[in-house]
Amino acid sequence: MTSRMRMTICCLWVAICLMLLCGFPAFGQAQAASSTTTQAAPPPAKPAPAMDAPLDVKAAQPPSTDDLTAKGDPGGTATGTVSDVVAADSKKGLTLADVVNQAGQNRIAINFVWTLVTGFLVMFMQAGFAIVETGLCRAKNANHTMMMNFMVYGFGLFAFWVCGFAIQMGGGGPYSTLGGAYPLTSEHVVTLLGKPWGLFGTHGFFLSGASYDVGVMVLFLFQMVFMDTALTIVTGSCAERWKYVAFAVSSVFMGAITYPLFGNWAWGGGWLSQLGNNFALGHGYCDFAGSGVVHAVGGVTALALSMIIGPRIGKYNRNGTPNAMPGHDLLVVLTGCFILAFGWFGFNPGSTLAASGNGALRIGSIAVNTMLAGCTGSFGAILYMWIRYGKPDASMTGNGLLAGLVAITAPSGFVSTVGSAIIGLIAGVLVCVSVEYVERVLKVDDPVGAISVHGTNGLWGVISVGLFADGTSNYGGSWNGVSGSVRGLFYGDASQLVAQLIGVGTLIGVIFTISYVAGWIMDVIIGQRVSAADELEGLDIPEMGALCYPEFALQMQRGVPSGGVAAD
Amino acid sequence: MKIVGVLVVLVGWLLPVVGLTITQSTSVRFVLALLGIAVTLFGIMGVLNKAHLKNAIWKA
Repeated sequence: MTSRMRMTICCLWVAICLMLLCGFPAFGQAQAASSTTTQAAPPPAKPAPAMDAPLDVKAAQPPSTDDLTAKGDPGGTATGTVSDVVAADSKKGLTLADVVNQAGQNRIAINFVWTLVTGFLVMFMQAGFAIVETGLCRAKNANHTMMMNFMVYGFGLFAFWVCGFAIQMGGGGPYSTLGGAYPLTSEHVVTLLGKPWGLFGTHGFFLSGASYDVGVMVLFLFQMVFMDTALTIVTGSCAERWKYVAFAVSSVFMGAITYPLFGNWAWGGGWLSQLGNNFALGHGYCDFAGSGVVHAVGGVTALALSMIIGPRIGKYNRNGTPNAMPGHDLLVVLTGCFILAFGWFGFNPGSTLAASGNGALRIGSIAVNTMLAGCTGSFGAILYMWIRYGKPDASMTGNGLLAGLVAITAPSGFVSTVGSAIIGLIAGVLVCVSVEYVERVLKVDDPVGAISVHGTNGLWGVISVGLFADGTSNYGGSWNGVSGSVRGLFYGDASQLVAQLIGVGTLIGVIFTISYVAGWIMDVIIGQRVSAADELEGLDIPEMGALCYPEFALQMQRGVPSGGVAAD
Repeated sequence: MKIVGVLVVLVGWLLPVVGLTITQSTSVRFVLALLGIAVTLFGIMGVLNKAHLKNAIWKA
C-alpha cells in the first residue's frame, strides 16, 4: 500500500467520523420525525384550561369602544364579539364555562325563535281558512261561517290548555332541540299482546306545576296552532247548516280528546310512533308535519259530522243528483289560499322544532318541497278540470294548491324535490276525483271540499312517506327512537309502508269512530242541525243576530235583487 | 245499522293491529293492512253512510 493510498484512506476515515459526529443527531431527528408520522405518537399532553379560569379576552381582539363610539359599525364586522359574552361573575371576568354556556343557550335560543315564529305563521293560517270557507259559502251565511272560524281558535285553545296538550305531549319528552322540556316525560302505557302500547300523556294539564317551563311553553304554542288547524277543517264541511252551539261543543271535544289522542300516538311517544321499536316496522309511523295528525284527523272528523248533519236543503234533487251551490266570493277564496300557502312555510319547516343542530338545516329542503308540492298540486287540479270540463275552475285550482300542501306535510322532511313534485301532482288530481266521488257517489255535502282536500290528501300524504322517503334525512341520527334515516318502499324499506298503512287504518278506524260516536251523541242531546226555516233564511240572523252584508238585505227589502241573498 | 257500521269500522282497524303480533312477515302485514283499510272503508261508506242516506233530507 503506497503512502498516497494510506493518506486517502485516513482522510476518508476522518471524513466519515466527522460526518457521524455532525450528521447523526440530524439523521436521528429525521428518523424520529418519520417515526412520528408513521406511528402517530401522541404529542406531550397539554393541560386542558380550567372551566372557571379567566380567559384572556384581549387575545380575541375585541373592538375598541372608542372606535365604535366615533365611527359606528357600518359593515357589521365589529358587532357581536367576545365583548357580548356575559360573564357570570363580573369580578372574576369571562371564563371558558361562560363561553360554553353561551354557545348552548344560543343554540336553544335559535330553536326557540324559529319554533315560535313558524308557530305565528301557522296561527295566521286561521285567517286563510276563515276567508276560504266564508268565500265558498253563500252570502247569507257569511257571518255564521266567519264566526265559526273565529271562535274555533278560542274554543280549541282553551280545551288544549286544559287537557289536550297533556294528553298529546305529556309523555313525549325530552325534546332535545328545545332544551329538554323535561317535565313532559310521563306516558300512560298498557301492555297488550306482549308489547307496550303508549296511549296518552299525563303531564302538562293547565301547563301548571313543573310544566311551567320555557321549553314546554314553546312546544305548547306550536302544537296548539296545529291543533286549531285541524279543528277549522270541520267548520268548512259542516258550514251553512251547523248549529252554533253544537259547533262549540264539538270543537271543545275535538281539541280536548280526539286530536290529542292521535297526536300522542304519532308525535307524543305513543304506540304508532313505536311500531319500529316494537314490531320492526321501519321507523314506526312517520308524519313529519301532520298530513295525518292534523289534516286527516280534521278530514275524517269532517266526514263523520257531515254524514250525521246531512246535506244542505237544495243540494240534492229527489233523484239524488247534486246541484251546484257556488260560493259568494272567489276573490277572498283565492286570497285565502295564498295566505294558507304562506302559512305552510311555518307548518312544515317549523316542524323540525329547530334551526340549529340535529340535522335542522334541512329546513331549506323542507321549504322547497312545500313550495313545489303546492305548485304541482295546483297544476294537477287545473289540468284535470280543464281537460274534463273545458275550463280551468278557480275554486278547484285553489283546492289543488291546498291538496298539494296537505299531501307534502307528512313527507316534507323525508323526500327529495322530485318526490315532492310527484306527490303534489297526484294530490292535485286526487282532490278533484275525491270531490266528485264525495258529492255524487257518497252524497255527502261538503261546501268547501274539506273532506277531499284534508281527509283524502292527508291520507295520501301519510302513504307517500312509505313510498318516497329517500333515506337522506338525519335528525340527530334517529327517528322515533330507531337509528338511521327514514326510507320508503322505493328506497328499499317496505316495512315503512306497512307502518304508514297502519296509521291510515287508525285514522279511518279509530279517529273516525270516536268523532262519529261523539257527534251522534251530541245530535241526540242538543241537535247538530239548524231548523229548515233558519237554513232557508240564512244563518246570519237566526244564529248570530247580525248580517255580514247588511246592504244586501236593504236591497232585498226594496225589491232589488242582489247577488248574494236573492240568488239563494 | 249505524251500530253495525261502527263495529265493522273497528273490526277493520283491529285486523292489521292484531296481525302485527301474529306474524313477522312484512308481506303478510302489508296484505292485512290493506284488507283492514278496505273493511273500514266499507264500514264507513257501505254501511254507515247508507244508513244515513235512508232518511236523507232530499228524499222527503
